[in-house]
Amino acid sequence: MIRKYTYGGHTLKNSGSFGACLVQASRSFHQSSQSLAPVPPLPEKGGKVRHGIFPEELFTLLYPKTGVTGPYMLGTGLLLYMLSKEIYVINHETFAAASIGAVVIYGVKKFGPSVATFADKINEDKVAKAQEVKDQAMASLAQGIEDEKKEQWRVEGRHMLFDAKRNNVAMLLETNYRERLHMVTNEVKKRLDYQVELQNLHRRMEQEHMVNWVEQSVIKSITPQQEKESIAKCISDLKVLAKTTQARASV
Amino acid sequence: MMVSFFDQFASPSYLGIPNIAVAIALPWVLYPTPPARWINNRLITIQGWFINRFTNQLMLPLNVGGHKWALLLASLMIFLITINMLGLLPYTFTPTTQLSLNMGFAVPLWLATVIIGMRNQPTIALGHLLPEGTPIPLIPVLIIIETISLLIRPLALGVRLTANLTAGHLLIQLIATAVFVLLPMMPTVAILTAAVLFLLTLLEVAVAMIQAYVFVLLLSLYLQENV
Repeated sequence: MIRKYTYGGHTLKNSGSFGACLVQASRSFHQSSQSLAPVPPLPEKGGKVRHGIFPEELFTLLYPKTGVTGPYMLGTGLLLYMLSKEIYVINHETFAAASIGAVVIYGVKKFGPSVATFADKINEDKVAKAQEVKDQAMASLAQGIEDEKKEQWRVEGRHMLFDAKRNNVAMLLETNYRERLHMVTNEVKKRLDYQVELQNLHRRMEQEHMVNWVEQSVIKSITPQQEKESIAKCISDLKVLAKTTQARASV
Repeated sequence: MMVSFFDQFASPSYLGIPNIAVAIALPWVLYPTPPARWINNRLITIQGWFINRFTNQLMLPLNVGGHKWALLLASLMIFLITINMLGLLPYTFTPTTQLSLNMGFAVPLWLATVIIGMRNQPTIALGHLLPEGTPIPLIPVLIIIETISLLIRPLALGVRLTANLTAGHLLIQLIATAVFVLLPMMPTVAILTAAVLFLLTLLEVAVAMIQAYVFVLLLSLYLQENV
């Protein structure tokens, strides 16, 4: 479809060739159609008509003077005037007119509402599509707000997480410290035990050495005569013991 | 006052000024330019929907080169439909009943398609003169026949439209006269004839739309062959 662009100020300035940039720059704003924005909205419905062709304004116009029947009287009078004065002559075209009029009225009455709803549906679909885009955008933005609020709530609980982590770290440090303390204690004990054992060993060795020396010296000091005397003494003691035992046994 | 039934087809003039110019310019008035709005009123919506749909349908079988003709064919269709339908109203003059107008549409447009075909793809354009699968002995005869068929196309286009509309209008006038004359004498017969007139008017409405559509469709077909 061809659109007619009406520029205000369509003067000699615009009569140049299309290559001249100056043409567009010199278009005045307050006269061009851009100054009319925003465009006032179109009326929702067309003008009211009675009987399909006579606008309601005619009836409103005549009502103060002639009442409700005024326009009808006017119409009838006009028709009869034209017929009687033979301004309009009834001929074969009248019947052709009646016939085509019947076809038109039948068509409008039968298909009018459906065509109107069809046209409305086309427009409504357009509006619905745009509305859907708008609704989706709004829904996604609202969802974004909800998500942001949730994140903020999550952030509030963050200190609990930090406390738990801090506890964990403290525990680890404590455990580590105790382990090391334990290790140190063990090491020191080991060293000290060693020293103690060493001293014990010394003492034992000294003791054994002394005992050995004493035994050696005693053994060396036992003369053979003393040895014989001790053996004889032992034998006599044994005999005495044997006797006492026998005597105890017989009693 | 009509002298003969053919006076309705005389090109009207008033004080030497031809009225046919007004009759031809009238359809333009009836289609308002869509305003620069997103949502329009019902009339503009329907008008826009119809033109879009029609042009889409018409351009379906055409390749991209043929789409250059979209504006011409769509506007031609709207023009012819409006003129034909307006001609059905009483006391109107239908410009498409004039053979001169219809030939003025048919010959240049048909010639344009032929010249486009001959210039851009002469082999294919000439190849259309021989349908596929013809038996060999028939080829010379068929070429002659196809050439005649090609050359008669503009004549057929123009005369088809003229004849259909003229015949329809004439019939309407005749039967309406019959009703008019019979009404005082034999009212019953007049009423039956009036019924016939009603049916004929319905037919004429259909013919008006169909003939315009056929004109444009055939042109698009010729274009399809050649572009």
